[in-house]
Amino acid sequence: MPSKRILPTIVAGAAAALFIISACAPAAAPSPTQAPAKPAATTAPAAPAATTAPAAAPTQAAQPAAGGTIKIGWGGPLTGDQAFFGKTWLNGAQLAVNEVNAAGGLLGKKLEIVALDDQADPKQGTVVAQRLADDSSIVAVIAHFNSGVTIPAEPIYNKARLAQVTNSTNPKITQLGFDTIFRPIANDNMQGGLPAEYAIQQLKAKTAAVVHDKQAFGQGVSDVFAARFKELGGTVTSVNGITHGDTDFSAVVTKIKNENPDVIQFGGTHVDGGLLLKQIRAQGMKQPMFSDDGCYTPEFIQVAGKEASEGFMTTFQVPPYNSSPAAKAFAENYKKAFNEDPGPYSGNGYIEAQVIIQAIKAANSADREAIIKAMRNVSLNTMYGPIEFDSTGEVKKPAVFLFQVQNGDFKLIWPK
Amino acid sequence: METILQQLINGLTVGSMYALIALGYTMVYGVLLLLNFAHGDLFMVGSYIAITLLVGLGIGGGLGLAAMVGLFITILLVAGFLVAGLGVIIEKTAYKPLRNSTRLAPMLSALGVSLVLENSAMLLAGRAPRVFPAGVFPQHSYTLLGATFTNYQVIILVVSALLMVGLYWLVNRTIFGLQIRAVAENRSTASLMGVNVDNTISMVFVIGPALGAAAGFMFSMYYGVAFFTMGFTAGLKAFTAAVLGGIGNIPGAMVGGILLGLLETFGAGLLPVVSGGLLGPEYKDIFAFVVLILVLIFRPMGLLGERIPMESMTWKRSF
Amino acid sequence: MEEKLLTSKRGASPSELLGRWGPLLLLALLALAPLRLASETALMRVVDLIAIYSLLALGLNVVTGFTGLLVLGYAAFYAVGAYLYAFFASAQFNIHGPFLLLLVVGGVAAALFGVLLGIPVLRLRGDYLAIVTLGFGEIVRIVLNNLNQLTNGPQGISLIDTPDIFGYKLSTPVHIYYLLLVLLAVSVLFLRRLERSRIGRAWAAIREDEGAARAMGVDTTRLKLMAFAIGASFAGLAGVVFAGLQGFVSPESFTFWESILMLSMVVVGGIGSIPGVIVGAVALIGIPEVLRQYSDYRMLAFGVVMVLMMILRPEGIWPSSMIRAELHAGRDEGDSGELTVAEPVAPPAGGSR
Repeated sequence: MPSKRILPTIVAGAAAALFIISACAPAAAPSPTQAPAKPAATTAPAAPAATTAPAAAPTQAAQPAAGGTIKIGWGGPLTGDQAFFGKTWLNGAQLAVNEVNAAGGLLGKKLEIVALDDQADPKQGTVVAQRLADDSSIVAVIAHFNSGVTIPAEPIYNKARLAQVTNSTNPKITQLGFDTIFRPIANDNMQGGLPAEYAIQQLKAKTAAVVHDKQAFGQGVSDVFAARFKELGGTVTSVNGITHGDTDFSAVVTKIKNENPDVIQFGGTHVDGGLLLKQIRAQGMKQPMFSDDGCYTPEFIQVAGKEASEGFMTTFQVPPYNSSPAAKAFAENYKKAFNEDPGPYSGNGYIEAQVIIQAIKAANSADREAIIKAMRNVSLNTMYGPIEFDSTGEVKKPAVFLFQVQNGDFKLIWPK
Repeated sequence: METILQQLINGLTVGSMYALIALGYTMVYGVLLLLNFAHGDLFMVGSYIAITLLVGLGIGGGLGLAAMVGLFITILLVAGFLVAGLGVIIEKTAYKPLRNSTRLAPMLSALGVSLVLENSAMLLAGRAPRVFPAGVFPQHSYTLLGATFTNYQVIILVVSALLMVGLYWLVNRTIFGLQIRAVAENRSTASLMGVNVDNTISMVFVIGPALGAAAGFMFSMYYGVAFFTMGFTAGLKAFTAAVLGGIGNIPGAMVGGILLGLLETFGAGLLPVVSGGLLGPEYKDIFAFVVLILVLIFRPMGLLGERIPMESMTWKRSF
Repeated sequence: MEEKLLTSKRGASPSELLGRWGPLLLLALLALAPLRLASETALMRVVDLIAIYSLLALGLNVVTGFTGLLVLGYAAFYAVGAYLYAFFASAQFNIHGPFLLLLVVGGVAAALFGVLLGIPVLRLRGDYLAIVTLGFGEIVRIVLNNLNQLTNGPQGISLIDTPDIFGYKLSTPVHIYYLLLVLLAVSVLFLRRLERSRIGRAWAAIREDEGAARAMGVDTTRLKLMAFAIGASFAGLAGVVFAGLQGFVSPESFTFWESILMLSMVVVGGIGSIPGVIVGAVALIGIPEVLRQYSDYRMLAFGVVMVLMMILRPEGIWPSSMIRAELHAGRDEGDSGELTVAEPVAPPAGGSR
């Protein structure tokens, strides 16, 4: 029955597997409550902080927090479908960190981002969350990007008492009862509601057709839009789900054309949205179309084409990069550091890092619990306006802006 | 009425796109019974190459008809040639060593290749979607009986048909094709008859990926965009279309592709209306799969029947 | 005299002793490991995922490895288990059922779905079977994604109850680890016996040559359905535990890519081989984790590793000895591109099976 080599093979294999995995886990500084860690964990090369910008100054060795760096964790999609959004978002945060370091650091120490890729996958997100939580030199996190990843990760950060500043906009995120979640941007309730109000009040629209990409974010925004539109007395002719990743939406377009709505709303991201708009115009439909922050990108305009995108309207939680000197400066600095224009969420990453930096300053400590307390009471002015949090972690003065593409560029149209 | 006609046109367009992708897929599939997961990514590479060429040439537009046709064919050939080369390299490194092992081993190797191609594209060309330069090949709309269609759609349909005919002719009426069919039917006997099996298989991996590249070029021209994850869906559709029509069957891939396109369009556009809003367009993929399952229940060898190696026609182990 | 020869007892040889006690020793090692590593809870989470995927790989191995039915939509059964637990143990409908009961129900429900899939594919073989299973997987996922009332669609179901066994809450990854260890140990024992039973032999017969099997009187219909049912039930169990561990389920965890990942574990580990598929799960979950430090290049490296693994060891890391023997014997027959002189087929190496 079994060959001669079974036992040695099994033992060797299991030992090797455990050794490999543990040796390459982030070398956590031994925390006072634990037994001495396995020797392999501290002597093996530390999982280096996967910082992305070359400007990051700090050393890469795994030093305990008492050393020269303060670390901020980051979890988001660096590879896969959402890589573009995740990477540009990270770069924004990195810029804020670079600026702090250039000005002498924080509390006398250098600031560093430990960025881990979650591939927008919930199960990887929980592993990333646990890794960041286990690393006791990490004092707060910016995580995650996708609502479906943020939600299962929240209890992990909460248990580890890590302040979690998120970019995910699903309203449920702050309704789960965790005191460690903070969201400095407006959630979907506002993003879906504003276009509905504009359509009914300013455009005098009576009917709307809704399209979404059947994903958590897109469908979430569309649901809110549809509900608000109906609340204000409008009629939704149909709600249509497209498959994210498809490129041909002509069937849905023809169907909507038949319904002849006054406006069309799309919940989703820029490739799907751009293609949809292009195909809508190609079939001769002239209705105004709304979307959400996933379509607030130059790539959207490129994909849809200059002609088709003219007049397209979308919401975004922050004013344009050229709307204020501070935002302009941000965009320029970003371009200098990363050699490309900022992505749609780069500014968000920047202010999210600023929130954490401010909390650390206010707490005057790198202790996780103190930072949570400080963040609850934080008050700072960013290029996007003042940020303060309420008791659930939502920002107190959420703002959403409506932009319109005019001549190949996004211009703020509402509120003026 | 015009809605139905419009949806018909929509379906034919999507379908001919699927057919185009499936053609290259079914070649490799029929000869090696390999589910080439990397085919979709070769399709993606083809479109990236085409876009890079056009952007590099910096042509704004305003070309005469002859120049446009010339440019079109040149890009087609260059992209096809480069991707074919890539295909041969992939075959030699990732598939050839596995020729005599289980059926699933090369399939998983293909999966690895797919990851490599996708992530390489992401790292080399950036994460943002790439836009096909507008204006190089101007688009014109026409209206017929209330339904609109464009010259692009006509071109795609025509080119797909031409490629299919060409491929069919190549496989069934030339010496090359004879070699391919011989190797497909029984590798060792073909070798005994003097066929160079390695070269023949390489040829298959020239033709298949080249067709994939052509599909990629036209795909990105038509939709105007390319992104590094587009290969995944494309590969899935190609597989579905190929099986629907009959594995290894070239006209079958075409029929399968067009039928799949029509089914999806019906599912998205007309089914919601027919079902009174109960089943929205988000059920289109389910609809297509259900029909596929029904077809296979009644015609287990695919619509047009299969053309695959003899020994796999028995009930022997499927991996 | 003969009797004495036939019944003479000699001491067990070292290798036999090790072979008999080896697995038990391994089990003890695994059970005690957390005491040394408990501080590294990220590692424990990864190990939990490895264990869950091991269950999945074992189940898929029953259908694809034992019975030879290529399934590309296995994640559907995983989803059934996960959503079942999410329905009956969360804030969704405010039902908070007992974990152990739901574990069993999850397995049974998945088995039923397995039969549901098995029935239309009975007549199909090879890739036709594969694509129908792919379609099935997609159908289940899309339905879950679209039934917003029931499942919250893409938003998923959150606040799922922590697994609770007779009042004892499995609230940390280490707790779940022990649960999974028990499940895995029982599964491996069960599958080993099943493999060698009449059912297992009948499955092998179906896998090798279905026509011949039928000719020898094997009831292929019943056995195939049984394979689907039993194989699917493992995924159901895994799904329940996964939902309990993660506290959240959404359709994006049950995509076609997930099904492919599971299949890859079976093939890379060694198709048809029980220890093999577990090793496959360790490899395909462990390697991307190990490569985490290369962030941007991680998936690229993973792809390269996949290709290398297949080229260097196509029969899998820990292959089933029968399949390996066949592969090597098969090489001497006329399946290669080169002309080979006929040789007597070598007897399978590696001892009896």
